[in-house]
Order: sequence, then structure tokens, then C-alpha cells
Amino acid sequence: MLFFSFFKTLTNQTVTIELKNDIRIRGILKSVDQYLNIKLDDVEVLELDKYPHLSSVKNMFIRGSVVRYVMLPRSEVDVGLLEDATRREAANQAGKAR
Amino acid sequence: MSFFGFDTNLPRDRDRGPAASRGFFENPDPFADIARATAVEDDGIDFEDTYDGLGDQLDDDQDAFNDDTFGGGGNAGAGAGAGTSVGRDFDFFGRTAEVSNAIDEEQMRYALQNPQAARAPPAAPQETYVPAQHAAEPTIKRTGYEKYSDPGYIPDLQAKSSVWGIAQEKREPSPAMIPTMPAASRKMMSLEEVEAQMRNRGQAFGPETTQSIPQTMPDMSFPRHPQGLPMLPDGFPANIPPEILRAHLEKGGLPPHLAHMADPRAMYGSPGPMMPGQPLQQFDQNNRPPRDLPSQDPRHAGPPPVQRQHVPPPPSRGPNGGLPVITNTEQLIHLTEEQRNAYLMEDAKRAKRNHKIFLLSRGNGLMTPQDKNFITRIQLQQLVAAAGNVVDADPEAVLAEDFYYQVYSQIRGAPRQHPHQPLGHFAQTYLLQTGNRISGHGNRRAFHSADNHMQRMQQQVQRAVEAAKAKPKNKQLIIEGSLGKISFSNAKAPKHMLNIKRPDSSEGIRPKKVQSNLSIGDRKSLLGNIEAVYNALMSMEDMERTMPPPPEEGDTEAIQEHLEWRQKVQSLNQKLWQALKVMEPIVPNSTTPHPFIAFLSYPKGKKAIPRIFRHIDQEQRVTILTMIVVHLDTLDVVHLAQASGPNDSQLPVAVREAIDLFSLAVMPSLLGYVNEAAFNIIIGLLGLVIAQTQVLAVARTKIGLGILTMLLSRAEIIKEAGQASERDWQQWVEKFNVLFDMLEPSLVHIFPGSINSGDDMYVWQFLAAVGIGASPEQQQRLVIAVKDRVMETVSYSKSLPADMSSQRLGNVNLFMRAIGLDVDLLG
Repeated sequence: MLFFSFFKTLTNQTVTIELKNDIRIRGILKSVDQYLNIKLDDVEVLELDKYPHLSSVKNMFIRGSVVRYVMLPRSEVDVGLLEDATRREAANQAGKAR
Repeated sequence: MSFFGFDTNLPRDRDRGPAASRGFFENPDPFADIARATAVEDDGIDFEDTYDGLGDQLDDDQDAFNDDTFGGGGNAGAGAGAGTSVGRDFDFFGRTAEVSNAIDEEQMRYALQNPQAARAPPAAPQETYVPAQHAAEPTIKRTGYEKYSDPGYIPDLQAKSSVWGIAQEKREPSPAMIPTMPAASRKMMSLEEVEAQMRNRGQAFGPETTQSIPQTMPDMSFPRHPQGLPMLPDGFPANIPPEILRAHLEKGGLPPHLAHMADPRAMYGSPGPMMPGQPLQQFDQNNRPPRDLPSQDPRHAGPPPVQRQHVPPPPSRGPNGGLPVITNTEQLIHLTEEQRNAYLMEDAKRAKRNHKIFLLSRGNGLMTPQDKNFITRIQLQQLVAAAGNVVDADPEAVLAEDFYYQVYSQIRGAPRQHPHQPLGHFAQTYLLQTGNRISGHGNRRAFHSADNHMQRMQQQVQRAVEAAKAKPKNKQLIIEGSLGKISFSNAKAPKHMLNIKRPDSSEGIRPKKVQSNLSIGDRKSLLGNIEAVYNALMSMEDMERTMPPPPEEGDTEAIQEHLEWRQKVQSLNQKLWQALKVMEPIVPNSTTPHPFIAFLSYPKGKKAIPRIFRHIDQEQRVTILTMIVVHLDTLDVVHLAQASGPNDSQLPVAVREAIDLFSLAVMPSLLGYVNEAAFNIIIGLLGLVIAQTQVLAVARTKIGLGILTMLLSRAEIIKEAGQASERDWQQWVEKFNVLFDMLEPSLVHIFPGSINSGDDMYVWQFLAAVGIGASPEQQQRLVIAVKDRVMETVSYSKSLPADMSSQRLGNVNLFMRAIGLDVDLLG
């Protein structure tokens, strides 16, 4: 749930999503769910000339499994907190595995 | 007893013989099977499909020829003749066969009896009109009805009649019969028409005219509800209330136009359960009046073709919902223009609505309310299982699952309104909503088991939650004898691709190993060590969150609670302290750094210091400070920064970052402690710096100078505040003098890089700290040592923009003022 928890804090931020088919989409992250499906608003496809069929798309729902990268605004990430959250997650997992 | 009160005495009818009464009802329909097959595919036969509207055309007072149609019974003379002739009239092939047989036979007979063979052919036409009664006459030996005495022929007919008349449904088209009656089966009358005709005749003529009908009567009342859902509104006239229609009907005097406007289905639908369905259709097909029946009635000659045009083939459903409109066109003519328009409008609306209802009703009745409840329960179960159980409402659990989000929201402001609303709440909310909906539904429909269902649903959810709690830890199931494993997974705990069983024994041993191997100082154990510190820190922070309120006087329970909490905190503190390795023995001249110094060499370790300082007491803090001071020259930020000579302007990026991080993370914590430290501690620390470290090396780094500045300025503050005892002060001055003497030759070298490298403020701060504490003679020496640098900086700053210039001069002035001078004096 760490990534879910993490991406939830990025709602209403502008993120760039790179899909596994190399399409990169910048938009406002509207919501994310436990499968890391992503809802984007005000989307803007980078290198639009390569993907003209996306030129009229204004918002989209992206299935989590097709996402390669999510590029985040650095200022919106609390690294220390994220480190701690990661430690907690690891501790939880270890607790569950046992 | 049949529905309409007709005589249903079948055996008596059967006694009358096949030819006399059954008439055309015996006709097989070669197309019936096709229609039935298509109808089966299109499950749910609509009434409209099977209805061709013929019944509408019947006039109550125009049923004089019903006898002809239905075979008027055993009337004598012409009536009987007409009845029987009608009965076979449509059997063209049969007729022809009879005739040709008769001709052949006559010819043979004549040839045998009368060799002259004068007028044989004219005898044949007479024979064509000879019905059953004539056939029985002994005088005529060979008639057209010999066929019916054929043992292969008659049983076939009887089988047919018994099948559809009694068993009602199963009817196989007899191949032998198909070619016989093709015309009779082309156009079919629907059940309604048949019924309407029979009813009309029953009203008009009384029982004796119905003698030929009873065979159809059992069919009128056989079960007609394959779907169980009457589609009553279908085709129901919106402008005529059914009660009125029924009233008219019962009086027997429905006005013709009303009778036509009123859809017959409505009449039938109101008094009793009337459903279209497969059996009906079969019945219809069996009972179609021959298509040229209306042509016998001159008054009916007109309408039937119109009707036939609009008879829809049963499977072709769709916009034909408004079929009655068309059948009523004749009647519409008699209405006024206004009425007609209104009616047409109404009818178009109704057709539209019927179509919609039809489309929507495809799945009607497929699921019972119980089925629906069952599905809802399953869905709820899955919801509960997927979204986590209700126990997750516990904030602790939420924090464990959603730590980053929760804390981040608290730090930066929650983006949503209920940051503490866990996912489990959603399931709960949904459950409650569904409960309301279902119970309301149940009340409205007086559905008695609704409450029961709700209870069961709640119980089930509860059980699901409990099962989830009590779920065994193993995430997979290996069925004996199977080759594979079944892994349980849900959204929270996805299926593991790899299942590596970690031996339980290693769990407890590993941390100890790390501890014992720590002196090796390898990177891995160090990192593990740092993580141990962090884990201890996090649990301490958790403890802080759960701190019970300060106990009041006399509240023993609260005091007890508080004590327990303190104990826990204490034990965690010890754990943290152990993990920090501050108390590891200092090995002089060791090649490996002290564990704590190694800890500090990692960014993670540096970042941990402020958090650690919050959770340790003063004694522990001074211990840490002491450790840092003792190892000042082996700290990475000092040790690695050594490479920078006076002319070596730039340090490696990593080192600079480390220095920055140390300044930001560690120094404030140390400063915070030093600013409250007692004088003797400061003296002791300064002594340690002088005794244990290479002061020159320390002094050439930012961090080293920073710590020295810290100590010197604290001593000065203590002196100014008059808190220093004379003896302490003497000690301090001694140490200070030693330090000053050591540093004086290399004071020029403590400046980083060249004059234009910028960041030399910390040096001026240090010099200022030295200058304040220095004796006038030392100040002189100080000025001489750094004079060049001061002059350089002043002149250099003149070439800089105003703000940077003033900043640089300000730095210099910090020192100058400490020794009672000012850059302005330098002109």
C-alpha cells in the first residue's frame, strides 16, 4: 500500500506518466487506486506529433499495469517521510511474512 | 369446464367421427415447426407476434356463417351438407384425390358393370359432393371416403386429434398430411380470434351451435404462463378503462368501434390470466381457420386481406408493437378527425412505450428477489474482503497501512476532507446504504423475508470479517495429490510470484550477528545498524504518540499507566542507545572508524541525529557530542575535506553535500546542546580537541571550525554572563592559549580556496570567536595573521555588486568588531 499511499499525496499535482509503449502524458493526477490505476485531467501528450490520435484527449484513465514511470514534482515528495514509510512498510511485510 | 363455459365433452365429439366434427382443425400445418423453431430461438414470444387481428373484424351480429366455419353439427339436409363440405372444402389435394379416385373407380366399376360405358365421366362431379353420410350408404360401394376406411389413414388422424386435443402440446407434423393441406396452414388465426369467434357464436346461437367446437375448449384453459409475468400494459388501450370494457363485454353489447378499439388482449387480460407463449402459438397453428374461410362470408371479404398483410411473422419483433392500430384503421374512419388524431397519437405513444417495455423486459423475471439478495451478499462479501475488514477503522492500522499519506496529509494539509476515513469505512457505509435500500424495498412490496435477508447479509458480512481476521497466515493451499498450489490473494496482499520460505530460526539470530560483527565495520552491517536505529526511533515516536495524559493526583490507575509507559520508553531508549553504538570502546589507532563515527558517515546517519537528540537525555547528548569531538578529525566531513588545500578551490560534490548535510542536520543539534552546556563540559571538550585530534586539520574544515566556534563562543557567553568560576576560567584560558598557539601559524590556511570562492563566513565567525576570547596581545597577532586576507576581501568586495559586497564586508566586520575594529576604518 506504500505506493498507493504515496501517490495519493500527489493528487491534484501535475505529473508526467510514461507508459510501457513509450507514450508520455503530462496531466493533473486526479486519483489513483490500489491497483495504481491513474486518472489524469487536462492531459497533454508529449511528442504529440507521434501520437496524433491522442490530440483530442482531454482526460484519461490509465490502467496501472501499463505505466512505466511516473515523474513527480520533487517539491511534493517528503523524502524523509517516504523513507520512514518505506521502513514501516518493510516492517509490516516482515511481520506478515512471519 | 372450459373457460368460456362451452361444452367440453370430448368423447362424444369423437364419436361423431373424424370427418364430421373435426373438419379443418385436423389440418396439419407444415409451417408450424418452422415458426415454432424460430419462436424458440427468440425466447419469450410476445403476444403481438401471434396475433393477427382477425378477431377484431368479427361482428357479433355477423356470425350467421359460423356453422359453415366450424361445421354446424348434425343439422339435417343442406345444413349438414354445408357443414361437412366446409369441413373438407380446403383439402384441395384430398378433394382432388377423392375425385380422381372416384373417377377412376367409377370408370372401373362402370367398365365392369356396364360394358357400353356410355356416360361414365359425368358421374364423377356428383361424387365430389358426396360427404361422409353418403359414403356410409350401402348403395354406393365405392366413394371418395374409402380413403378414410384405409387402416393406415384413419389412425393417423385420430392420433393427431388426440394429441392436440388432450395432451395439448406435442404435435408432430405428419409427412403424409403436409402435402394434403398446404393452403389451410398458410394463414393462421390466433387464439384470440378463435376465441372471439366462438364467444360471439356462443352468445348468438346458443349451445347447439357449439357442438363442433368443444375440441378446442380444453386448450383454452391450459396453462399459459411459461414466463409467469403478464405483460398486461402491452397494447392495452390507454383511453378505455378495462372495467368499462369488461362491463360492455359481459353485457354482450360492446359497441363495434369500442370493441375494436379495445384490444382483445385487454379484454382477455383483464378477466383472467392471459399470456402469450409457446403452447398458445402451437394451439393457434392447430386451429387456424382456413384462409379462404372469410371469403365465404361476403361481409368479411374486405378486411381479411388487410389483416393478412400485417400479420407479422412470429420471430420478427420490434416496432410492430402498435399492431392493433392498423387493424383498427377501418374503425378509425368512423371517428371524428380530432378523435382519430388523438387516438393515433395515443397509439404511437403506446407503441413506443410497448417497445421500450419489451426491450427492458427481456430479462424480466430471470432472477427472483432471493437470487438478487444472494448476489448482493456475495458482492458485499467481496467488497469487505477486498477493501479490508472493518477492524481497519482502528487508526493504528490505518497508519500502518497508509503511513505516508496520513502523515503527509497532516504535515502539508489534507487534500481530502476526511483523511482519517479508512477504506474499511467505505465498505461499512455501502453496507448500511444497501441495507436501507433493501429493507425499504421489502416494506413496500410487503416482502416478508427482506428483514430476514438483511439479517443474514449482516451476519454473513460479520462472518466474512471474522474469517478474514482468523485467516491462516499461510497464503497458499496445497491440495494433496495436486501438482500446483493455490494462492490466496486480494488487493491488499497480492499473490506472491515467488514463495521463499524463510527459516524461522534465522529470524532471531540475524540481528545478533550484526551486532557481534559490527566491529568489522563493513558497509552492510553499518547500514543494517542504521536501520536498527531508525526502527528504534520509529517505535519511540510511536510511543510518543501514545503517551497517556499526565496523571492527576490520586489517580492511581493513570499513574500506573504512565509509569508503564515510561518504562517502555526507557527500554526503547536503551534499545536506541545500543543501536547507536556510541558506547563502543574507542580503539586507538584503529584502521576502522568507531561505529558511531561510521554511522555518521552515512547521510542517513546524519539525518537521524536531530531525531535521536529529541529522544535522549542530556547525558546521552553529551556523550554523543564527546564522541564527535574526540573523533573530529576522523569524521568524514573533516577527514575528506582535508584534501582541500588553500588553493584547491573545490571539494568533490559528494563531500560538499555531506558537509552541507552535516551542517544542516547534526550541527544544530550539537549547538542546541552546547548552548546549554556547563562551562566545565566546554572546557573538557576543548581539551579533547586539543589532545585527541589534529587541530590544524580540523581547523581547515568547515565543520571543524564550526565546532570550535561553537565551543569558543559558548565559553565567551558563559564568561559574559558571569557564570564562570575563576578556576574554570583559568582552565579555559590555558586551553585557549594552547589552541591559539597551535593555530596561529596556519591561520592563513584555514580560509577555503581563493578570495573569490565566496563562502568564508564560517572562518570569519571563527576568527571573531577567537578574537573575542583573545587577549589584546593575541588579538594583535590575530590581526597580523589575517591582515592580508582582510585587505584582499575588502578590496575584492569593492568590485562586487552592492549586495554581495556588503555581505562579504559584513563577514569581515564580524571579525573586525570582535577585536574592536571596523572595516570602515580600513577605508
